[in-house]
Amino acid sequence: MTRLITRQKLIQWAPFLVLVVLMLVFTAINPAFFSLRNFGRIAISSTPALMVAIGVTFIIIMGSIDLSMEGTISVCAVVFGYLFLQWGGTLFSSAWIAIPVTLLLGAFLGLLNGAVHVLLRIPSFMASLAMGFVGTGLAVMMTSGEKIFVKDDAFRSLVTLRYFGFPVMVYLALLALLIAWLIQSYTTLGRNFYAVGGGEELAHASGLNVKRVRITGFVLAGVFYALAALFAVGKIGIAESITGANFMFISITSVVVGGVALWGGTGGVLNSLVGVLIVNVIDNGMVVIGLPDYVQDGILGVLVVTAVVLSTDRRMISVVK
Amino acid sequence: MSTFIKDFIEKETINRRNFLLASAAGLTSMALPMGFATRAEAALTDPVLAWSYRDRANPYWLSIVSGGEAFAESIGRKKEDLVNLINEGSSEKSLADIKAFLDKNAGNCAIACDANDSPNARPVVEAVKAAGGYISTIWNKTDDLHPWDIGDNYVSHMTWSDEKPAEQTARILFDAMGGKGGVVHLGGIASNNPAIERLNGLKNALKDFPNITLLDAQPADWDTQKANELMAQFLTRYGDKITGVHCANDTIAYGVLEALKAEGIEDMPVVSYDGNLDAVKLVIEGKILATVFTNPHWGGGISSALSYYAATGAFKPSEEPHEHREFYGPTILVTHKDAADFKAKYLDSVPTYDWKDFWGPSNGGIVYKS
Repeated sequence: MTRLITRQKLIQWAPFLVLVVLMLVFTAINPAFFSLRNFGRIAISSTPALMVAIGVTFIIIMGSIDLSMEGTISVCAVVFGYLFLQWGGTLFSSAWIAIPVTLLLGAFLGLLNGAVHVLLRIPSFMASLAMGFVGTGLAVMMTSGEKIFVKDDAFRSLVTLRYFGFPVMVYLALLALLIAWLIQSYTTLGRNFYAVGGGEELAHASGLNVKRVRITGFVLAGVFYALAALFAVGKIGIAESITGANFMFISITSVVVGGVALWGGTGGVLNSLVGVLIVNVIDNGMVVIGLPDYVQDGILGVLVVTAVVLSTDRRMISVVK
Repeated sequence: MSTFIKDFIEKETINRRNFLLASAAGLTSMALPMGFATRAEAALTDPVLAWSYRDRANPYWLSIVSGGEAFAESIGRKKEDLVNLINEGSSEKSLADIKAFLDKNAGNCAIACDANDSPNARPVVEAVKAAGGYISTIWNKTDDLHPWDIGDNYVSHMTWSDEKPAEQTARILFDAMGGKGGVVHLGGIASNNPAIERLNGLKNALKDFPNITLLDAQPADWDTQKANELMAQFLTRYGDKITGVHCANDTIAYGVLEALKAEGIEDMPVVSYDGNLDAVKLVIEGKILATVFTNPHWGGGISSALSYYAATGAFKPSEEPHEHREFYGPTILVTHKDAADFKAKYLDSVPTYDWKDFWGPSNGGIVYKS
């Protein structure tokens, strides 16, 4: 019995151990890796990805998948950019309203996404992928490929203003993480996500409105994608039709590497935090230790597989699909 | 989205109707199967215009197409009469779309095209020739494919040599660095020809500056966000050793400037490439030292003009010298002292070009490296 507990504990902490080992290895090769300055850089690059990963974590806990993030982020970023400039162009004017509007837009896009999946009974994989393409297309149409520059210093203080070496956006992201963790751990909705993911028929038979839980999950994910869009625009000061590009791979990888099982029911947002950090540490470390660029993609893939092997408990499942 | 599709279908229907009317008017011979030797070289009446290119989400291609549209207007057509064939980065789609376009218009076409990748250029121009249409290409073609070997239907090929201009920007950068220190290069997608040429340009300039070291050169895939993260990683690896940044294009430079801003670094010398409006503004502000403008608007318009006027018989390509059939597009170096003038002349309002002056702004015949 004690042995079993040890094994479970080990698996639970495995992603964190992977992260620590990676950091030690990179530091051993180039000590410059282990500096507050570099941690600040890793934190900045992780922030938007963390928001996406949190959003998709809720969906994956339910045993579904959401691939609409790239489209949703691009649409939110572009709409935010236009509204912000339209309504004054600085946080000290009414332009700040663009922020809650963008979050609402994210929720709406999530609602649409969830509705297509649940009401039209299309598998979440296909429904969300398709909605993602719609979003990307919409963003391209709105911008015609042009970039929207958000230069307001107050808004950009997200990345330029630092406390203890980390910019403001990192603290805001941690706050969002805390809220996500509270939703996951202390609300009925959070428990329902696990109920649906752990056994949908059982949850349904117990009187849970599974459809509503699913749609709410997508709405919540949409809000976090909108947050990701805001941080992504804050990070480089540009909103464009490809703001959302690459977030699908990085967020899903992070969630899985962090130990959230794709078959649902286990894991949580803290796993996703560790996963995002693992992926970004690998990304940063490879350049910092001077790995040639042509092997970086390959190494990233190998490290991701290794991390998943180490950090998920695959003994309990008999079929991998 | 739906109006876009509706408009597209409407436009296609109209084109189809035009074709049927044309057939009724006695031009049916155009639609006959191949084998009529006279057809391929015959002048066309009112050929349909098309631009085949990669994507709509990129200012560069938008600028190319705006040139094609300006040309269409110069011959009394509407902007919408220029058909956009978008290959989305797929050579197969590029070829299939062009073949479908040729079939639909019975070869009565004047096409301008970037074939997406070099090997695709040959099947594309051969398909156009077989259908009796006319085509001008830009950027991608293999070195062994020449318009004069295919015939009049393959009117011309234009490309841009980026090595020299990238070398010029590097020299400007090195001078600003005081001839010493360390430089990093953030490149385009590693296998792209312009990415390779722009890095080569930097390396050529380095030969004359022995006290400057190239610390690192890695691809940022023409992407602002990737460039932003790569620059941050370079800062960790090299720290104060970096005293200058050479970027493969403007979108990369935007990401670099933001990475520097996040670190509170304000005065790092940076150079870029492409001459986009926002980059030129940054040159005026002194945030970027230099960029290079390749005038895609002119390139897009003149490619349409060449295929159109060759199709209508206004000039005969085979009577032109080789440097008129394969030539370099224009490149203009934009630095702080001339940026404001440049912006006023080329960007604030688009200059009106004489679309019959085919080779005026070009940069001489293409030279192949053995």
